[in-house]
Formats: sequence, structure tokens, C-alpha cells
Amino acid sequence: MPCILALIIFGILGIFSASHRALAKEAFSCVFRRITLRPCNTGFADKIKGKILSKIITRSEFFAKMVNKHYEILSWIFFILMLGSTVWVMRGVYNFYVFGSCNGLNESGFCAFDPSGENNKVTSLEGDNSCGITQKIEENVTLEDVDLSGFPAQNIGSKDTVVFIGCYACDYSRKAYPDIQKLIKNKKANYIFAHYPAKGDTMFLGDAGYAVRKLYGDEAFWKLNDYLFIADKNYILDKSNLGTILNSFNFDIKKVNELANGSETRIMMKNQIKELDKTNMYGTPTIFINGKAFVGPKPYRVYRSAINKFIFF
Amino acid sequence: MLNTSKIRADFNILSSRNGSAPVYLDSACMSLKPNQVIEAMNDYYFNYPACAGRSSHKLGDKVTKKVKEARQIIAKFINARNEDEIIFTRNTTEGINLLANSLGLQKGDIVLISDKEHNSNLIPWLQLRDKIGITVKIIPSNEDGSFNLDNLSKLITGAKLVSVVHTSNLDGVTNPAKKIIEIAHKNNILVFLDAAQSIPHKKIDVQDLDVDFLAFSGHKMLGPTGTGVFYGKSELLEKLSPFLVGGDTVEFSTYENYKLLPVPEKFEAGLQDYAGIIGLGEAAKYLSQFNFKDIAEHELRLNTYITGELKKILQIKIIGPEDPKERSGIINFYIDGTDMHKFAVMLDEMADISIRSGQHCVHSWFNSKKIYNSARVSLYLYNTMEEAEAFIANLNKIIKIL
Repeated sequence: MPCILALIIFGILGIFSASHRALAKEAFSCVFRRITLRPCNTGFADKIKGKILSKIITRSEFFAKMVNKHYEILSWIFFILMLGSTVWVMRGVYNFYVFGSCNGLNESGFCAFDPSGENNKVTSLEGDNSCGITQKIEENVTLEDVDLSGFPAQNIGSKDTVVFIGCYACDYSRKAYPDIQKLIKNKKANYIFAHYPAKGDTMFLGDAGYAVRKLYGDEAFWKLNDYLFIADKNYILDKSNLGTILNSFNFDIKKVNELANGSETRIMMKNQIKELDKTNMYGTPTIFINGKAFVGPKPYRVYRSAINKFIFF
Repeated sequence: MLNTSKIRADFNILSSRNGSAPVYLDSACMSLKPNQVIEAMNDYYFNYPACAGRSSHKLGDKVTKKVKEARQIIAKFINARNEDEIIFTRNTTEGINLLANSLGLQKGDIVLISDKEHNSNLIPWLQLRDKIGITVKIIPSNEDGSFNLDNLSKLITGAKLVSVVHTSNLDGVTNPAKKIIEIAHKNNILVFLDAAQSIPHKKIDVQDLDVDFLAFSGHKMLGPTGTGVFYGKSELLEKLSPFLVGGDTVEFSTYENYKLLPVPEKFEAGLQDYAGIIGLGEAAKYLSQFNFKDIAEHELRLNTYITGELKKILQIKIIGPEDPKERSGIINFYIDGTDMHKFAVMLDEMADISIRSGQHCVHSWFNSKKIYNSARVSLYLYNTMEEAEAFIANLNKIIKIL
């Protein structure tokens, strides 16, 4: 058993160090002899045992004696622990690849590959709309009973559906937006967009978007929407710049403003927010890919994996 | 009595580490090198790194002179009749191979060896057995590992060569070389002595022993690695046909013919390890300043202490005679059913104590006795009582936990 342990450990260390490579070779020879029903005659197991015991004996003779006495059992325990931790690490790697977090979808615990939790950061919908990591129960975030018919959509009729709920003022939404656009472009998925005013006063941008869509159609809306996610955040949040923005797209400022500030838009937007609240979402961006919720800006591969149905668990 | 502190000052590894020098107890495998040897070799590489015996420039002349000096020193060191009886080799193994392949043995010729031979004095003969059909006979030792002269007498009739170890690296027992040679010569049989383990610790006088051939290594007698000596009586060397020939072994050559140089040149084919040879000469010079009786007494004092302490540990069995007087500077021990590598590794890791573990190139003996392996302490002139005590203290710690 110590030889198998040593083979795995030294095998990994041997990738980086020549001295460990030699030990890995010895361990392999030992394991090979054992599996071919021959005794391990290299003395390797005893050399390793000697090295371990000599480290312990200088601190505690009693402990060294115990380790020596129960060496085989301890080896088994460490072997099982190593198998367990290997499975755990592999699970973490898989989770990180497909969910962007070692701990699973939208789980914000520590992840060595994403130590600052960038892939799970959201603008919270509670309290002060603070930005950062918010841990919620992902299972509650759902599209069930949510009517999305009133939201702008592309590629209607596609077998895959992507719903992007984001906020123009949310850094994390802005971070995720280009990846979602790339995904939609590549996969031609049914794409529904919803603006949720999670941070700052962005209601007026949602209103303006609704008015542009109503007056100039979906294509005009998507152009404005792309601009709002790409342009400088402080510039678009300044209400006095709205006219200039609309003008740059050759929209009739007066008409857009009239419709945006009218009661129809107010009621429509209120209803849309009410529908979005039914999702139990707790932060932006929240992206649904074929009904599965991804909260926070995930790497592009996560979205691609979801749409390619690479997620097995 | 040896002044060990003065001696240790000559060994960089023992004197330069401010009290953290390793406890080196593996001199039977490889001795440490005094600074004088290293400096002599460096001097060659720094100041006259040229060829010997070929080039007629000043540098070449100096190398030729130094190699000749080294040959003279070695000849004097073993009391050879003349320096031409000294052939430089890479090690004892090469010396034995030279003999095995040059003696002109024929099918059916008998070679006698002891049952405690190092692989270097076993495999060349077994290979000749397989190649040309010589017969290799083993002289069984006594129960305690000492040489059995009766067994030699029983087996000697019809033998061509007796090839035995002088001091065994297995148990430190020194075989009665003079008596072995007397018996062999009475029967007109040649004798070869493997002196690898005896030359560093004992005064060897080849004329007094009347030995026909003898070989030893430089690396066990404070000399450089890759150096050794093959000695043979002049008249016998003349008759040997060299098994390595080529550069610097011939007086002249044509496309059809060649004429070999006289001994020792005809045996030293190709460019030699001049730095090593010069270093080996220096090592012999260094050793010559001591009385070998003092070295033996010093080793016996340490061996007696270690043996006494080991005997207190019931599980431990010492290979060879119980009396340390019979074991030179070697204490080879084992515990039934225990892999002794563990001891060597632990001593090294715990206290920087270097001992050897394994079968010490005497696999044949271990296999015949069904002993897995052993741990060997081998002492030399630079070891101290404090080191012996440190070894015992740490060994006791290990024994306690195992």
C-alpha cells in the first residue's frame, strides 16, 4: 500500500522534480512487482518508512513507535483519504469548468481557481444593492410561472433559450453581457433580455428602451441595448446625456421621451419587474440557459457547456 | 596512536562544516579523500594537463615524470620488486578481469574462490566458465566466516589458480594469505589476492606474501575514484596476453603486424587517467606517513565499542566472528526478517550518519544463507569514538521504536 501511495505522490511531484522522478520509478517497480505477484525487492517501502519515521522520531519516540506499529493501517487510511480528496478535487475541477465555481453552480465558497470569487459576484437585489458575493439557494431561482412574452427576444423558435436579466449599471452584468452576445451569435439560441434596475437610478434607461422598441422595432432596441452595456457607465447613468444618446441613433428624442414617461410604459415596466421578481433572483446578472440559472458573470465556457449540455450533474 | 583531530583537518568534508560534519561510516565502500590528494589532482588539471609518454614537450614530460613517480610510490607502498610490476587500472574489478582474460585459461582448468567473494571476484570466473568451460570451485568457509585451510587443501589438486579475497568486505575477516599462498605454491598453483579491503588498513608486502597477482582500488585507500592497481610478478606479467590493446600498448605497428611494448605499458591501453594516477600516488604517500598498526588499533578500539553495544541488542546478529579483532574495521549486522535499508535511511535522516545497507555485492553469500540484507558500519582512520557513540545512540533510538 505505501508503494501505491508513493507512486501517486512521487509521480505527481516527479513532473516537477528529477529527484522525485527517481523515487517514482522505484515506487513503480515496487508496485509492478506486487501486481505481478512477486515480492517488492527494492527495499523502497522500507526506505520510505525509514524516512517518515526518522522525521517523527526526532520529535516524539512514542509517536514514532505508534506510527511504526500501525504503519500499514495508517497507509490504508491515507490511501483512502487520498482517493477521497482526489475525487473531491476532480469534482472541484469539473465544477469549475462547467459552473465557474469549484463548489458547484452559483456556490460562493472558496475556490482555488477563482480565489476572489469573481465568477459569483452580483449586484444584490436586497438592502443597499451592494456589489459582491451573495450566497443564496440557487434551487429557488426559477423561470417557472414567469411570463416573458413582453420582453425583447431574438431567434424565436430555437431549441435553446437564453434569458439574460441584467442591469445597465451593474458591473457584473456588463462583464457577462459580451459573452452572452457571443453565445447567442454562435448558437443562434432564443434570447430574451430583461433589464432589472438593481443598482442606481436606471429605470429611465429601461423606460427609454421600451419606448425605442415600441417606436422603432426590435432591431433598434438591440442596437441601443448593446450601446448601453458597452458605453461608459457614468455617462449613460447621467440622465442629461439620454438625449444625446438617442440622437446618436437618429431617434426622435421628443417622441421617445413622451412614450417613455407615459403611463403605458410605467405600467408595462412595473409588470415586467413583477414578473422578474417571480424568478426569486437575488442579484444581477442572472442568466437562464434552458431554464438553469447562472447567477454572476461566469466564464464563456460555462455558458457554452450549459448550452452544449456538457453538464452531467 | 592516531591523532584523529589532526587527520580530520586534512579532510575538507570533516573539517569545514563547523561541527556539523557527517558521521561517515561507509569507508569500505568509498573512503573520504584528504585535501592533499585533491590538490595533487587539481595541480595536474591546473598546471600541466597533458599526455604522458607520448608528447615531447615540457608539459608532457612533467606528466610522464609524475605518473612514473606515482608508479614508484605504489611499488614501494606494496614492496614490489620494481615499478614495472604495477599496472594502473580503473579499479579492482578491472584488475580481476584483466587477469581472467589474460591468463590463457583453457576448458577444464580449475579456479578456486572462497564462498565470500565480492561479485568482482566471482562473475569474471563464472563468465569464463560459461564462455570457455573452466571449472569454478568454491572453498567453504568456517561457520564464523574464517577461512578454512583444510577445505583449500582438499580442493587444490589440479587447480590452475586460487583467487581469493584478502580482507572480506562482508565481515572484515582477513584470510591467511601467506598460508594460502604457501599451500598453493607447494602445488605449483598461482594465487591472486583481492586486496581492495585490506590495502587501506594493512601493510601489504607482496614479496613477503610471495603473491603472484594482486589488485586493489584507489577509492578505498583515500585515493580518487576510477583508479586501481593490478600487481603481478614480472615474470608472470611477461607471459600474460593483454585483453585490452591499442593506443600506447605497442612499440610499432604495420598494416599486417605489431609489436607490444613491455610491461607495464602493454596492459595500459589508451589514454590513462593521469590526474587519478597522480592522486592515487599522493594517497599512498599520505597513508605511508602512518603506522598501519596504529590504524588497525584505532579501528579495533572503535569496533570493540560498537560490537559490545550491538551485542546488548538481542535481535541484532553480527556477520562473521564475534571477536572484533577478527573483523578489521567492519561491523556488518542484521535482524532476522527486517529490511536493513530502513536503518541506513533513518540514521542518515536523523543524524547524518552514513552506513551501507544491502547485500554489499556479495549476493551469492546472502542468497546461500537466506539472509535478506544487512547494515554495514565500516571504520577508518578519521573516525572517532564520538562518532561511534553517536551511531550507537541513534541506533538504540531506532531499535526502541521498531
